[in-house]
Amino acid sequence: MDKVFIDGLSFAAPLFIMAMGAIYSEKSGITNLAVEGFQGFGAFVGALTAILLMPVLGDGSQAVIYIAMLAAFVGGGIYACLHALLCIKFRANQVISGVVINILAVALTTFLTSTINKSLNGDASNKFVLGVFNRYTIPGLSQIPVIGALFRNMYPFEFIMIVVAIVAWYLMYRTRFGMRMRACGENPQAVDAAGGNVDRTRFISVMISGALSGVGGICFAYSISANFSPSIYMGYGYLAIAAMIFGNWNILPTGAVCLFFGLAKAGGYQLCLSMGLPSNYSDLFMMLPYVLTLILLVFFSKRNHPPKAAGEPYDKGKR
Amino acid sequence: MEDYIVEMRHITKRFPGIIANDDVTIQVKRGEVYALLGENGAGKSTLMSMLFGMYEPDMGEILINGEPVKFRSSNDATAHSIGMVHQHFKLVDNYTVAENIVLGVEPMKRTLGIFPSVDLKTANREIAELSKTYGLEVNPTDVIENIPVSVRQRVEILKMLYRKAEILIFDEPTAVLTPQEIEFLLKIIDGLRKSGKTIILITHKIEEIKKIADRCAILYRGRLVKVLDVQSTSSQDMANMMVGREVDFNPTKTPANYRGDVLEVSHLTVQNANKFDVVKDVSFKIRSGEVFAVAGVSGNGQGELADAVSGLMKVYSGSIKLCGQDVTNDSIRQRLESGISYIPEDRQGVGVFLDFTLGDNLAIRKYYKQPFSQGGILHFSEFENYADKLIDRYDIRCGQGRKTSLRSMSGGNQQKAIVAREIEEHAKLIIFVQPTRGLDIGAIENIHKQILAERDRGAAILLISLELDEIMELADTIGVIYNGQMMKIADASTLTSLDVGRYMMGVKEA
Amino acid sequence: MSKQNKPQTRQKKAWFSALLDSEKWNGLTIPMLTILLTLVAASIILLVMGKNPLVAFLSFLQGSGFFPKASYGGGQGILTDLFNFMNILAPMILAALAFVVGFKAGLFNIGIAGQMLASGFLATVIIGYSGLSAVLAKPLVLVIGIVAGGLLGALVGWLKYKFNIHEVVSTIMLNYIISYLCGFFINTYFADSLTRSSKICSDSARLTWTNVNIGGVKCNLPLGIVLAVAAAFLVKFIFDRTVFGFELKAVGTNVRCARYTGINVGRRLVFSMAFSGMLAGLAGVTYYCGYYNTIVPKSLASMGYDAISVALLGNSAPIGAIFAGILITIFQYGSNYMSSTVGVPKEIASLITGILLLFSACGGYFRYMAHRRLEREKDEEIEASRAAKSAGEPAESPNAENREKEGKL
Repeated sequence: MDKVFIDGLSFAAPLFIMAMGAIYSEKSGITNLAVEGFQGFGAFVGALTAILLMPVLGDGSQAVIYIAMLAAFVGGGIYACLHALLCIKFRANQVISGVVINILAVALTTFLTSTINKSLNGDASNKFVLGVFNRYTIPGLSQIPVIGALFRNMYPFEFIMIVVAIVAWYLMYRTRFGMRMRACGENPQAVDAAGGNVDRTRFISVMISGALSGVGGICFAYSISANFSPSIYMGYGYLAIAAMIFGNWNILPTGAVCLFFGLAKAGGYQLCLSMGLPSNYSDLFMMLPYVLTLILLVFFSKRNHPPKAAGEPYDKGKR
Repeated sequence: MEDYIVEMRHITKRFPGIIANDDVTIQVKRGEVYALLGENGAGKSTLMSMLFGMYEPDMGEILINGEPVKFRSSNDATAHSIGMVHQHFKLVDNYTVAENIVLGVEPMKRTLGIFPSVDLKTANREIAELSKTYGLEVNPTDVIENIPVSVRQRVEILKMLYRKAEILIFDEPTAVLTPQEIEFLLKIIDGLRKSGKTIILITHKIEEIKKIADRCAILYRGRLVKVLDVQSTSSQDMANMMVGREVDFNPTKTPANYRGDVLEVSHLTVQNANKFDVVKDVSFKIRSGEVFAVAGVSGNGQGELADAVSGLMKVYSGSIKLCGQDVTNDSIRQRLESGISYIPEDRQGVGVFLDFTLGDNLAIRKYYKQPFSQGGILHFSEFENYADKLIDRYDIRCGQGRKTSLRSMSGGNQQKAIVAREIEEHAKLIIFVQPTRGLDIGAIENIHKQILAERDRGAAILLISLELDEIMELADTIGVIYNGQMMKIADASTLTSLDVGRYMMGVKEA
Repeated sequence: MSKQNKPQTRQKKAWFSALLDSEKWNGLTIPMLTILLTLVAASIILLVMGKNPLVAFLSFLQGSGFFPKASYGGGQGILTDLFNFMNILAPMILAALAFVVGFKAGLFNIGIAGQMLASGFLATVIIGYSGLSAVLAKPLVLVIGIVAGGLLGALVGWLKYKFNIHEVVSTIMLNYIISYLCGFFINTYFADSLTRSSKICSDSARLTWTNVNIGGVKCNLPLGIVLAVAAAFLVKFIFDRTVFGFELKAVGTNVRCARYTGINVGRRLVFSMAFSGMLAGLAGVTYYCGYYNTIVPKSLASMGYDAISVALLGNSAPIGAIFAGILITIFQYGSNYMSSTVGVPKEIASLITGILLLFSACGGYFRYMAHRRLEREKDEEIEASRAAKSAGEPAESPNAENREKEGKL
């Protein structure tokens, strides 16, 4: 049972940060199906930084991990510029652009990984092997019955995620930028008339989206497999989008949905183990989050309110 | 030397294919109400958009207080104390009144002494004070989507005042208001003038200019015709100059000749997506040869009423009968087949396929029937003949005939195409929703004539319009809708526009 | 940029813009521009890696059987390569058609890979292991492909219409579900103990005639390519000439107007996704029971995504998909040979496809820019003639920078 909470949280936290990235982009009026690509590319940049630094700082160094997270943040943000450029400057269809960004991310990172591996150690493998994150237990809180497990064996990134979530919430709901950004997603004309710069606001939002997704990606790389390979593209970016839809584009409910996803996934896996089924059956349980997503979408998709202007390029001349 | 607060000299502005303003010069004195009169498309809004920094002129210069200025965005205009109320309000629906007003010039505070954040408390207080000072009553914490149109307009005015604007531009401010609300607005404008503000009023309604403006500039097809003193010019002269020819104010309308009932709506209730009643227990009848006009302030359920009759929205309860036959649960196509034509409000979004050719668009009521298709295979020669016939008969102007893409046609000609297509169905009931919105006077006259011709042919007409003048001109019977309810149904000859305006604001019959 | 330009260069630009903008030619010119840009980008990458781009491009073509290789193994020849190329081209074209059909109706079928896998898996399991004779087995494989793909597509369309679930999300979810589900069944029941992938599909059910001797060279003759080309023309006919196609296009371009016209939008959404799924299903059987005869568990064919590039590059036209399919398959299929002769990782094929996709997505913008430029020139001409008329007044040319910002009036 403890394992369910521990694994569930370590899955939910990166998912949440990616979902938040998706929210940032969509609230500003840019439909974002590119989360999958953002997180993969961010993870790639982070992992590359890590393997370059590991020989310098030592294999077990935890500092490498934090630098890698920062690199993923920056890398995801920069890669997101591509989506922003396509959608804002080139007025491409935002759904197509998202799909293009995802496909390109897979191709680009796979190609670069094997090319870099070849030049570093002569072996064209498509994997970057990363170090292991230390885990921590919070002394007081972990003693609470049942949910205490949430605070046991935690990855440090889970704390970072909480801090990031608070900052992101503050930025979106309390600051000047946030207020204009949300207005851009509802009625960009209003922002323009009030003297805001719609295109710039959207551009920045998409970059933030990429940066957050990138952090989510590198955390997945560390927590799930401790390496970076094309298997990072497991569709978690789409799970994050689904979480955003259930959460009705609001940060807190989205977080709750992510936690639910995490617990369901970990729970399914533990159930499979405890029932003593052969390893083949784990495939069926791996399927669970996706089935769950579809079922939840059936119940939630119709009632919610996406930002009104999402998906439409802003045309100044249109009245 | 006069004290001109705004001067726009030799302004030329071109959009692809159109010259919106051609060498226009206007000079506005401090503290006056200066009207810009012209038809739709005469270039009034474009001119003012340049003064407000939304566009930059291709040629010419703008002077504020005698100083030449160059506006790159509305920020620059705001910095020079210019404010504008746009025809289509620029408000964020899910924000509060206060949030909308401060958007762009947000007051800041520091939460916990460190983190800068938007200070909504101060904003709310300031706006409450401001609204009291100018007699513009609003509640700062109301959300925009929950307040009526006239209050939204107040929010737009407060937006300018909050930014300490001295030059206030109003773009067609009365188009969406009832006569009573118009009176109120004109009083507010008068008050603003008295407190020293300069006002530029864009309108195509001469009576308003007569009531409030000091001077008036007339634009015609992008050119300045004349600047004149309002007091010493007659309404008829203004009208002639605006339209560029003699106007006949009284179109001939033959007396109505009613025959049998065509449409019978009883106890109709329609819900929107949020399960909220938008049309409530509405009942009325339209006879053959009758124009039944629904008057009402925008957003009171008239659009949903039309959608429910045509089948685009589901009926929640009640019934709709066409010539005695119950069509309440019929599909859209079944209703169209049994004799309904519909000219929708959103002509580009609903009425046409912008990416299709004119020929295809003219055939979308017929393509699935013989002779346009047979056994599921389309016959293009039939499409072509039909399109050529309609283009000719209804004088639809298009660059490349039936092959013209709808997107490249002017709004007036798009509407002509829709009207032609729908009238050619010779339907028993024709629904017109805002048929003349945004068209110039010639096109409006043309459509009004067609509406009356269809009525005389024996069709039942359901006309929904926000323009009270249009309703008073065309209607045989007027139904006034407020908040989803029919407040009053009466013969048009028994109602004055003031009466209708009262019902539009929800006054119940005594 | 207005006055200093030599008249010559301006004329040249106008000619180029006119080609990009013209209704008649942009279907051809914009993909050409896209391909050109991609080849330039790919050349730069290859140059950075220290390889000669021309040699690399030639070896892509050699690998695909368009040019003779330096040497061939026993019993093989250029025809072997060409037929193999066509064998993998067939599912690519079908998959691209699947995307085109959805796209025309306004739907993004990202689930092609999943639909391919599901139909390929079912066809293999039901017919491929049955021992039926070829006369029965081959048509039945096609039928199963069509039915399985069609049902999956219809499900997606239904979810979209009934529950407002965006098809991109639902198809991706279905991709993973199908992948795990097929993986589970293959691992548990149908695994070949040696290769760990599924047991092979019988030759009688396979849509490829293997080891046919043509002029002393062993070839695998693909049946699917005939199917694919026929399907392209069928799709073209449906969209150009039938009521059904007209309605699909109507729904795709403006749902609200389609409803207003009386088209049953929900049914059309389901039909178009079902149609798209059927083509994806055909792609699946020609892929898994044609080019291949076995299924690797828990992996989706990257073709499902490459097909999107093909469709977009082909201007989402059925015939365009054939040509775009040939081009992208040259990169994808030729990459093996290219990799072994030039020594660049074969992943570069996906990268080139990705870049191609990126530029394809900008196609609308290229056209928009060309259109803009033409209009500006026209305005400048008018301006010049006006200036000439009123010689006294100084005429400024319209500020190019301003004009960028505005859209329509």
